[in-house]
Amino acid sequence: MKRFLIEVRPELCTGCLRCELACSEVYTGAFNPSAARIKVQVSDNECSISFTEDCTYCGICVDHCFYDALKKRLEEKA
Amino acid sequence: MKLGGFAGRILIVNLSTGETRYEPLDYGLAEKFLGGLGVSLKLYYDIVKPGVPPLSPENPVVLGTGPLVGTDLPATSRVYAITKLPQSKAVAWCGGGGMNFGCMLKNAGYDNVIIEGRSEKPVILKIFDDEVEILDAGDFWGKGVKDTCSRLWDTYGRPTGIITIGQAGENKVIFSMAYIEGAATMGRGGLGAVLGSKNLKAIIVKGSKGIQVADRKRYRSVRDRLLKTMREYPYLKEWQELGLMKSLPFFPMDLYKKVKKRRLACVSCPIGDKDVIEIKDGPLKGTVIRSTSMINLITPMVYGLKDYREAIKCVSILDDFGMDMFEFFGVLSFTKDLIEQGVIAPEQAQDKIKVDSLESVEIWAKKVCFRQGLGDLLAGGFNAILDTFGDMARPHAPYIIRGMLPYTGPRGPLPWELFGTMELGQSLDPRGPHVGASGSPTYFARRPLDQFPRHLRRMGAPEEAIERILPSLGSPEDEESLKVGRLLTYSHNWFSALGSLGICARAQINRFYNAETCSEAYSSVTGIETTKEELMMKAERVWNLLRIANVREGFARKDDTLPDKWFEAPPFKNYVTMKPITRQDAERMLEDYYDERGWDKRTGIPTKEKLAKLGLE
Repeated sequence: MKRFLIEVRPELCTGCLRCELACSEVYTGAFNPSAARIKVQVSDNECSISFTEDCTYCGICVDHCFYDALKKRLEEKA
Repeated sequence: MKLGGFAGRILIVNLSTGETRYEPLDYGLAEKFLGGLGVSLKLYYDIVKPGVPPLSPENPVVLGTGPLVGTDLPATSRVYAITKLPQSKAVAWCGGGGMNFGCMLKNAGYDNVIIEGRSEKPVILKIFDDEVEILDAGDFWGKGVKDTCSRLWDTYGRPTGIITIGQAGENKVIFSMAYIEGAATMGRGGLGAVLGSKNLKAIIVKGSKGIQVADRKRYRSVRDRLLKTMREYPYLKEWQELGLMKSLPFFPMDLYKKVKKRRLACVSCPIGDKDVIEIKDGPLKGTVIRSTSMINLITPMVYGLKDYREAIKCVSILDDFGMDMFEFFGVLSFTKDLIEQGVIAPEQAQDKIKVDSLESVEIWAKKVCFRQGLGDLLAGGFNAILDTFGDMARPHAPYIIRGMLPYTGPRGPLPWELFGTMELGQSLDPRGPHVGASGSPTYFARRPLDQFPRHLRRMGAPEEAIERILPSLGSPEDEESLKVGRLLTYSHNWFSALGSLGICARAQINRFYNAETCSEAYSSVTGIETTKEELMMKAERVWNLLRIANVREGFARKDDTLPDKWFEAPPFKNYVTMKPITRQDAERMLEDYYDERGWDKRTGIPTKEKLAKLGLE
């Protein structure tokens, strides 16, 4: 599996949770935001996007983001 | 057997006794009525005693989400409530973009929540997975929608799903609504008052159980096709940026960009259209509102608040109280006219009514919300005013259907002159004048008729119906070229299908779905193999059940009102010819609707044969 760096632009996030839905379905077989490895919290004033320790940076969350709040960048070799 | 998509349980809450319990969802019921809107309606129909007053403990509220809610099919978050509403006194669907609520309710393990009785004191219903509690509302009671949501999120974290009422609902203002997370409205016609009458301030939900689909491979195929089409849609970015302003660009774009703070979306929606708006300058600087859309500013501006910042502030006040702005401005304007005409003595009003002054609107919003002075009468809506002043008031009333203001019309708060399905739908939705269920290709789009068949097929209309809707396609067009009444039948059925599955009905979303995609999505998610013909037949069954639920309450054709003032200047215009619509034209459209439905044209009641055919004997 390719690994990516995931760039986040929280100011573009709408809180649609498509990323959490896709992530949880791939890794648990069920749509369950609480089990997702990406965590999104949106309020009127701010948005935070973070990843749990077991995130593999597979990029499925990016594939499902429609708002450009998540972007893939191939990991640079050291 | 456990079906995919469904959580599989119904939560039953009795606020009178404090008892909460759950029952397994009857899958036979789900199969027959699809889910969401349809199953909620059937549950309500079976438990309510006909004739109960809307604000009595005997009037339950049935909340529901469809089987697609909580999946990542695009824009599948809709939440419905079925109850009897106080304005129309009809059994009504109330729906809202579900924000987080629908997804969280499903994840907590419930497809439906039945709320019965009335609590002795104000409460909040907490549903966190299997932990269901009826909490003392404490000092949440008396708080506005915005403050209630903020404090609940401070306490329980995000993304907790919240349905709440404002002070208007607490005080049973007849046109109070419920709000989903402060961004989506639910239940124009008085759902706020129904929840307020139960002393239920808010429902909060959070869940972690997960939702599985029956056939993952097939599901992914449907989903990926839908997402690809949406990604390739040339206007995607424009819709994302503008929301409903894309279809109704009434507001200068530079100003919109200036005040738009953030775009919010319901869970799973790629084209979110909820706005967070902030006033950036002037004396009202810093005012922030969550709104179902920026286009809500039209109404206060139509009534005379020319400064957009004052319009934003006005929407903020009304939304926080939890009041429907169409009705509020309607009754306020009507009262002002009655004072000017000498029907109401100025000293009775105490404060002068100026609908174009923010200061006056704010004073009157408080008077209505807290039922102070003459505000108490206005809180009862048009019917209360007409009951009090009778024939003296009637000539000055605006157009009214089932005690409510039809909001789209030549002189409506959403000004619109073409008489399409949404306009006729204001007379034919059992809940009263609401346009949410009657969307069709006619609305705003002004499409030429030769583009209709494609959209009608998409909406699941059979070929023979398309011929009846467009009888002279290809010939020179006249006022009979588009049968609006027949078309409305399929708008309602399409809405009924989308609502029962949990898909958003807004034009920018439902344009990507068609009946075939819906049946494929439903089959792959639930495991109930359903053709598009079966899907549309079940959707038709749901809309017929809504009708007979209201026939049982005494409603019939006599209540499908066409207000006289619709036919005065400036009149509605024919969609095709732009000629003024006459009462006879509109009556013919009503009859076309009944005929297309297989209902009795004289009474507007579904025939026995029709009900038998739909399995609703």
